[in-house]
Amino acid sequence: NTSMCWEINVKDYVCTHDIEGCAGCWGSFQEMPASTFAQARAAEINAMLKAVTQKSSNSLVFQTLPRHMRRRAMSHNIKRLPRRLREIARKEAEKAVHQKKEHSKNKCRKARRRHVNLVVEFNRRQKKNIWLETHIWHAKRFHMVKKWGYCLGDRPTTKSYRACYRAMTKHCLLQDLSYYCCLELNGKEEELLKVLARMCSIDTGPTFAAVPCLSGRLQGSLVLYRADRYPEDVLGPITFIWKPKDGSGIPYETRQLWIWTHPSLKQDILTELKAVFQCSEPVETCSPEPIVTLLQEEKQTDVAMSVSKKRKREDHEGEKAVPVKKIIGDGTRVPLQSYCWTSQTTGVVISDLTMEILRYRLIGPLSHCVLTEALKTASVQTEMADAETELNNWWVENCKNSEKVSLHQRQEAIFELLQGISSPSEIAAGTILGLTVGDPRVNLPKKRSKAMPNPEKYQDNEKVRQLLLEGVPVECAHSFIWDQTICKNVTENKIPEQDLNHMRGELLVPGSQLDLGPRESKIPILLVQQPGKVAGEDRPGWGSGWDIYLPKGWGMAFWIPFVYRGARVGGLQEGLKHSEYKRTPHVPNDFPDCPAGIQFAKELENILLEKFKRRPPAKRANYVKLGTLAPFLCPWGQLTKDWEVRNKTQEESVVTSSADSKSCATESQVPCDLKPGLMIEDSQGDMMEEMTKIQNLCKEDGAATSSGFFVLRSRKLLKQLSAWCRPTCGKGQRARPASKLGQKEMTEDALLPIFKCYPQVLVWVSLSLLRKGSPELHAMICIPTQEDYLQLNKDQLFCGPQEPKHSDIFKHKILKLKERKKNNRKALESGASDALEAKAVEEPKELILGLWPDPLPDVTSHCSRILLGFVTQGDFSLAAGCGEALGFVNLTGLLHMLSSQPADKKGLVLLRTPASLQYRFARLNIEV
Amino acid sequence: MAEPAPPAEELALRRRLPPRLPRRPGDVYVNMQTDFRAQLSRCRKLLGPGGGCAEIWIHGLGLAIHRAINIALQLQAAGAGALRLAPSTSTVELADGLEPPGHPDGRPPLARARNNSAIHIRVCRAPPTP
Repeated sequence: NTSMCWEINVKDYVCTHDIEGCAGCWGSFQEMPASTFAQARAAEINAMLKAVTQKSSNSLVFQTLPRHMRRRAMSHNIKRLPRRLREIARKEAEKAVHQKKEHSKNKCRKARRRHVNLVVEFNRRQKKNIWLETHIWHAKRFHMVKKWGYCLGDRPTTKSYRACYRAMTKHCLLQDLSYYCCLELNGKEEELLKVLARMCSIDTGPTFAAVPCLSGRLQGSLVLYRADRYPEDVLGPITFIWKPKDGSGIPYETRQLWIWTHPSLKQDILTELKAVFQCSEPVETCSPEPIVTLLQEEKQTDVAMSVSKKRKREDHEGEKAVPVKKIIGDGTRVPLQSYCWTSQTTGVVISDLTMEILRYRLIGPLSHCVLTEALKTASVQTEMADAETELNNWWVENCKNSEKVSLHQRQEAIFELLQGISSPSEIAAGTILGLTVGDPRVNLPKKRSKAMPNPEKYQDNEKVRQLLLEGVPVECAHSFIWDQTICKNVTENKIPEQDLNHMRGELLVPGSQLDLGPRESKIPILLVQQPGKVAGEDRPGWGSGWDIYLPKGWGMAFWIPFVYRGARVGGLQEGLKHSEYKRTPHVPNDFPDCPAGIQFAKELENILLEKFKRRPPAKRANYVKLGTLAPFLCPWGQLTKDWEVRNKTQEESVVTSSADSKSCATESQVPCDLKPGLMIEDSQGDMMEEMTKIQNLCKEDGAATSSGFFVLRSRKLLKQLSAWCRPTCGKGQRARPASKLGQKEMTEDALLPIFKCYPQVLVWVSLSLLRKGSPELHAMICIPTQEDYLQLNKDQLFCGPQEPKHSDIFKHKILKLKERKKNNRKALESGASDALEAKAVEEPKELILGLWPDPLPDVTSHCSRILLGFVTQGDFSLAAGCGEALGFVNLTGLLHMLSSQPADKKGLVLLRTPASLQYRFARLNIEV
Repeated sequence: MAEPAPPAEELALRRRLPPRLPRRPGDVYVNMQTDFRAQLSRCRKLLGPGGGCAEIWIHGLGLAIHRAINIALQLQAAGAGALRLAPSTSTVELADGLEPPGHPDGRPPLARARNNSAIHIRVCRAPPTP
């Protein structure tokens, strides 16, 4: 009633044109008591006032002012605001000050950018995450990420995806791999080999004891396992280099071995090595040096602080202020901790050389040109530059020995020969060449240029031929980089950039070549050839290149010359693409059975899940409806388990009706005719023996095998599988009789032992799509049905079948839960304690719309096509020109699929990305 | 302590890339992976008005020899007498890497030499014949 009258009252004042319509109310208005009316108005006015004084929006006070009342610099000077708003503005300004970082605003920019202060700041920032020596260079040009305790360049900020690919295939791509960790083992050769043999297996390829690697000619690579645990408990892939023998011919010589690992694997490998070699006692020799530097640093930071406080430093104090030393090497090391361990019983010494040796990788055919143009071998020097400094004293010492000089000249000659070889893949894989080079900064070109091959150097001479066929001789693999004292000397006696520029400035003819003469530093380096694509048929040698190992401190001195010779720089993403196009597993993404790989997968899942949850539910893929059980994390364990169960039930059914096996046998007889009968029996006999052996092995630790899955790395079996995966007949396939490789047929007898021995095993496969489609991360690899083959036969353009839409059985539950939650909240507000209890009782696992909750059903048979495995890397491949994927499939599933496939369709699978219902045909390959 | 040498059949032969000279703009290395028509049209473009090559060299090695010849002949046929071919043959020495390389005695051979035939066809515009 009152409100009605209020309305009329307003009308009385505001609008006069409608009075006659309201005339009937006048009577009631006059009857109303004044007090109630005033009370009601007072409440309304209060509310209005409150609304005026309290601003509801998020904006600052001066932003709420109308435009004509705004003034310049209002946000800084509150006196420019109208007086009534000043109080509020003052409060806001105070709040803003508190929120801001207390950052070094106390210093002006000029002071902050002063060299001393910069170095202090940089050193402080390096304490948490290790910086590579090229960090500043990268930080200006790359998106940086913090990974594995390092700050690393992820990808260039410029658009260069395709340019980097082109650099890899045609030019030269440069990568800083200094974050890789080096572990050094020192001890008697016999002792080392005996223990290391327990950590790897000859089944997976050449081991530490392979002759060319052991002599120090070649770099080896293998996968490490926990001691005596092969084929389970993987530690991770490594590369290793033996220091070549001195040639003295002593049988029980101490040898030096470098094991290079990825930083995510380092801790596991190091602890295992220490345990296996029983190295527990820290060696004292390593510790004193870092302490000294740290103390110095602290002192110097103090000095720097005091200097920076006074804007204008007095002269005598300025002289005292020695420039702060830049951190070279690992800045995160704890000074008192030792990084060197020895064992009492065997005398083996393990030392952690992380960040002591730098490593750059050059990929691409022009890496020879870049290397040979950027580096000049050191000149022979017999006299010291200065008697006082230690500069080059090791080199002078070395040059007095004529034998060593001749060795250096031979190394130089081989290095020169590289110019006449157009691609690194023409040289033996893993070739090592030691070298001593001069300062690369001296002959830096003025402008960035591109190193191009020089046709004059291409002479069809005997020497190149010899190099290609026989490789680099053992002696030439020798380098002084193995000697830590020399490395330290070289690092400490580096001429600073500033001095070098100063000397350049003092040249008589500006821009002419600087000649340092005897003062030029000599740097020992190691060049190691990286084989590109070795497995598979197509693109042999793609992505091959050289790794260059340098003593620390010389990072930028070598980096800039390489960049100036036309090398394009890539980051982690480019490294990933490189391994994807090479079809090699990438560390740690593609090692699901090693601890670092598991950790990586978990982190990736969290990232993807967070990203998924950030979108509103209606705008994200409903993976339940798409039939994708695990879009973010590959459930390898469950996949293998489900296949094991499946296999068992199938075996039982096979026993009852052997029709299936018959058809299998008839299929396999087709190519069987090609080979002589004797051969089969022989090879099969061999294989059977082998199998029984393996079976026995499996029985010994049968309990362990059932616990978890692992990845198959036995060369022999992989070769066998690879042969089985190829279509045996069909268009465009040249007859490739299996007998040539001594392979045996895929029969029941051959398969059964494999099923028994490897119940939970994954196999690394590569897939290339037949037609359209580019696979993504975690795409599903499935087995096609008979109808799919028929359709493909009928219609050459058939893309692939569709997965029928699944129903979201959880949607209802989630809605219910939501409702209940709402009710609970209401109950809570009303203050009922029993509601609280009820809530505590029922709180099921958090359900997310669109994701399958944790206990997954049988993953293999969830969709219309049976699941075989998952993709871990997948993209459109610029190298192959079609979608390509790499991933793992279950061995049992793979064999089941192959045995039931028609001969011309062998190795054909279906791929489906997590967010799609469309299956696409792909060819599965196992490359050994 | 050296590991025993694996039996001969287990040594995997890794074929390395054949040695090649630095590529001039007019050098075409014929392979068996790329589509024949694509390679032919590439040669045509090089010889054509915008290609900027007065002469091109078509190199074929081993299995690709007949394809190189085929391309050259097709070019000539399409050129209606304006092109002249000058083939030459050679032998290319190839190296096959052995893996796992290892022999218990003496220096292990890292590579095995193998010879293969190659053809190099020079295709150039013929001078106007009288």
